[in-house]
Amino acid sequence: MSRLNRVTNAGQGSEPRGGSAFGPTSAGRRAVRWMRENPLFAFGAAIVMIVVIFGVLAPFLAPFPDDASTATHPFETLVAPSAEHLFGTDQVGRDILSRVIYGIRISPVIAAAVIASSCIIGIPLGLLAGHFGGVIDEVIMRITDIFLAVPALLLALAFAVVLPPSPYSTMIAIGIAWWPWYARLVRGEAKSVTTRRYVENARILGLPRWRVMFRHVLPNSVTPVIVQASLDFGGIILTAASLSFLGLGAQDPTPDWGLMVNQGQGYFATQWWVVTFPGLAILITALAFNLLGDGIHERLDPRRVVSR
Amino acid sequence: MKRMRIVAAIIVAATLTLTACTGTPHSPTANEGGSTAGANTGTNSTFVYDAHSTAITSWDPSTSYSNEIIVLSNVYETLTRYNDNTQKVEPLLATSWKSSADGMQWTFTLRPDIKFHSGNPLDAAAAKAAIERTIKLDAGAAYIWGAVKSIDAPDATTLVFNLSYAAPLDLISSADYAAYIFDTKAAGSEDLTAWFEAGHDAGSGPYSVTKWQQGQEVEVTLDAFPDYWGGWDGAHYDKVVYRVVGQATTAAQLVRSKEVSFVAQLTPELWGSFKDDNSVQVTERASWQNLFAFYNTTDGPLKNPNLRKALNYGINYDGIVAALKGSATRTPGIVPKGLVGYSEGLAEYAYNPDQATQLLAKEGYGPGKKALDLTLTYTSGDDQQELAMTLVKSSLAALNVNVSLTALQWPTQWAQAQSEDASKRQDIFVMYWWPDYADPYSWFINLFHSEEKPFYNLSYYKNAGLDAQIDKVEAVLAVDKPKAEQMYIEMQKELFNDAPAVVLYTSNYQRVLQNSVAGYVDNPAYPNVAFAYDLQPAAQ
Repeated sequence: MSRLNRVTNAGQGSEPRGGSAFGPTSAGRRAVRWMRENPLFAFGAAIVMIVVIFGVLAPFLAPFPDDASTATHPFETLVAPSAEHLFGTDQVGRDILSRVIYGIRISPVIAAAVIASSCIIGIPLGLLAGHFGGVIDEVIMRITDIFLAVPALLLALAFAVVLPPSPYSTMIAIGIAWWPWYARLVRGEAKSVTTRRYVENARILGLPRWRVMFRHVLPNSVTPVIVQASLDFGGIILTAASLSFLGLGAQDPTPDWGLMVNQGQGYFATQWWVVTFPGLAILITALAFNLLGDGIHERLDPRRVVSR
Repeated sequence: MKRMRIVAAIIVAATLTLTACTGTPHSPTANEGGSTAGANTGTNSTFVYDAHSTAITSWDPSTSYSNEIIVLSNVYETLTRYNDNTQKVEPLLATSWKSSADGMQWTFTLRPDIKFHSGNPLDAAAAKAAIERTIKLDAGAAYIWGAVKSIDAPDATTLVFNLSYAAPLDLISSADYAAYIFDTKAAGSEDLTAWFEAGHDAGSGPYSVTKWQQGQEVEVTLDAFPDYWGGWDGAHYDKVVYRVVGQATTAAQLVRSKEVSFVAQLTPELWGSFKDDNSVQVTERASWQNLFAFYNTTDGPLKNPNLRKALNYGINYDGIVAALKGSATRTPGIVPKGLVGYSEGLAEYAYNPDQATQLLAKEGYGPGKKALDLTLTYTSGDDQQELAMTLVKSSLAALNVNVSLTALQWPTQWAQAQSEDASKRQDIFVMYWWPDYADPYSWFINLFHSEEKPFYNLSYYKNAGLDAQIDKVEAVLAVDKPKAEQMYIEMQKELFNDAPAVVLYTSNYQRVLQNSVAGYVDNPAYPNVAFAYDLQPAAQ
């Protein structure tokens, strides 16, 4: 067993792997230097950090936490930004700043859930297809072809129309459209890893195929998924916002950014703040995650990332 | 590639933010004659009506029961027209009318020498045929003729209605639906219904349909009918164009660029922004359209009248009216101002959370007790209704009443409310109601008279005493108006006590017109209609 692990590690040594990029030796210094060389990544990371902190501490940071749920103030509607309401109030008198802060708990969380579910479905299927090949590969890949034939947003839209409008439906709808990309990615990687010598050696030594697949093929195939996932985060936030903008996602009073933009569109010419702040929240968050994803992309193996 | 991604992200996010102001300037196709909207040319002037949703759902003057009255009212005419200022019925196709003492027989004298657009004469026989077709098809608002037993046309200008029970037929003939007089022979050998739906008209009104572009922004074009009995002396518009612009911000831009003459509906904020603008006119008046919440009186928790009353006290009506910023008012009772049965003295529910809490507590609900979970459906697409629903949910949530809101397309919402399986029905159904002619009868017969199968009585309300009153009231109105008025007031008191439904607000009409349009009067008996013949393209 110990010999085998050595063989595996030797194999990995020649392959770039996720963990080694931020290895334990002088990690801090290297990271700082690398960030200095990549100011956009640093900027993205900083914004993402701020967003996460605001999301976690929403109840303490939002000036009017009740306004993110059922509270309304019908006699203080459409108040312009002021010291009391930094972002103004909306059509039913809710504090927009509080709703934007609580909104962090909706779209970005949807994005995380979609990526998690896409990984849970896509990685095993891709692994099976890539490692075993043959009929299994054909069947799984033809299924992904069907999904990939339709643009992701359109497919998500189609599912969202059928499901009752809620944040969960948004997750399911986007997840259904997203997993085939991950399956594809892992399948390609697994196929090439399977033909490597250390994997063949493991098989020649008589290890069961399942074991070979999980111990040797899987760890060496997931790197591009990490890169892809980091790049997708911003895109999924935008997709989720688009769905709720069209009324297919979260419903009032959920403080979803896309929904807030949708509800504010009638006030754009007269009360600019109702759409502007949730719109900026979408813009900044999506941008920050994209910058972060690009940085990870550059640091890790960039060759096998698919574009969409 | 990655730069592209970032750029794409910015573009998509920016588009989401800016969708509201994507009012792409359209070429003013409305003015095909080369004149500008409302230009003071006397001849060759175009009135452009900006509608916020599709104008035409049906072209059939017998069965039409939707938005298309904004078009049909300029193409077709009725025997009489209701004047909301004088609160009297005025002559239109009929010059005079009289009823027998018992209100059972009505005789109308028609204007002589009127021609349909088809060239056929509009005489008593033609009017009889038109009304008989409407009665026979029995769709849309055909029920308004329910009292009519038979129609006679003894000579070319005399039309006699024999009724099975007394009814105010002068008022009924002024209805905005199902009362049009049209040429039943216009289609020749073709099927009349199919001929109508292809966009043809068979009216006698001042304008006739020249172009219908279904699904297009410039949906309908009407041209002046040269042989119109009223004549074309003086200043008149000779073309009417209906333009469908759903986005209020876009509509506001079209007003500023003078591409439309009249906007039927904007948001209260946008309308308010035109109020101080001297380059346009604004009008505002209370409508006869009110928004109801119907409680399910047969199934679920709202079977209990105490809980219905608790909800009535738990809704912040003044808050809703305040948030709607002038586009809504409150009405005591059910009947809006300007109709028989309206009374300032009627009691109305006011926001009183303490009283609501007490009533809820009696039944074991309320703050600190059991949560009351209710389902509510409303019609999607109306911003004002949506805003009101957010406020209803919010003020009831404070009383531990959880209302789950579902916005549905009207056909779905209606079908669900009519489900055979009562468990599939909602607890609260929200919709607008407005009368089919200038009379409160429509509210009571449609909304509160018991029904075998639910149609519009979506409280599923059954009250034998009230039914008896409703069945009698129109016959009383035909002969004794003060007594009918008293009956309508009593019925509203009964509905207040039993609380099968509550009126959330009454809409206000807020219009914007170019200064070049003179003579506009908002008549709530004909909702959203601009009678283009009565308008004058005037100097700015």
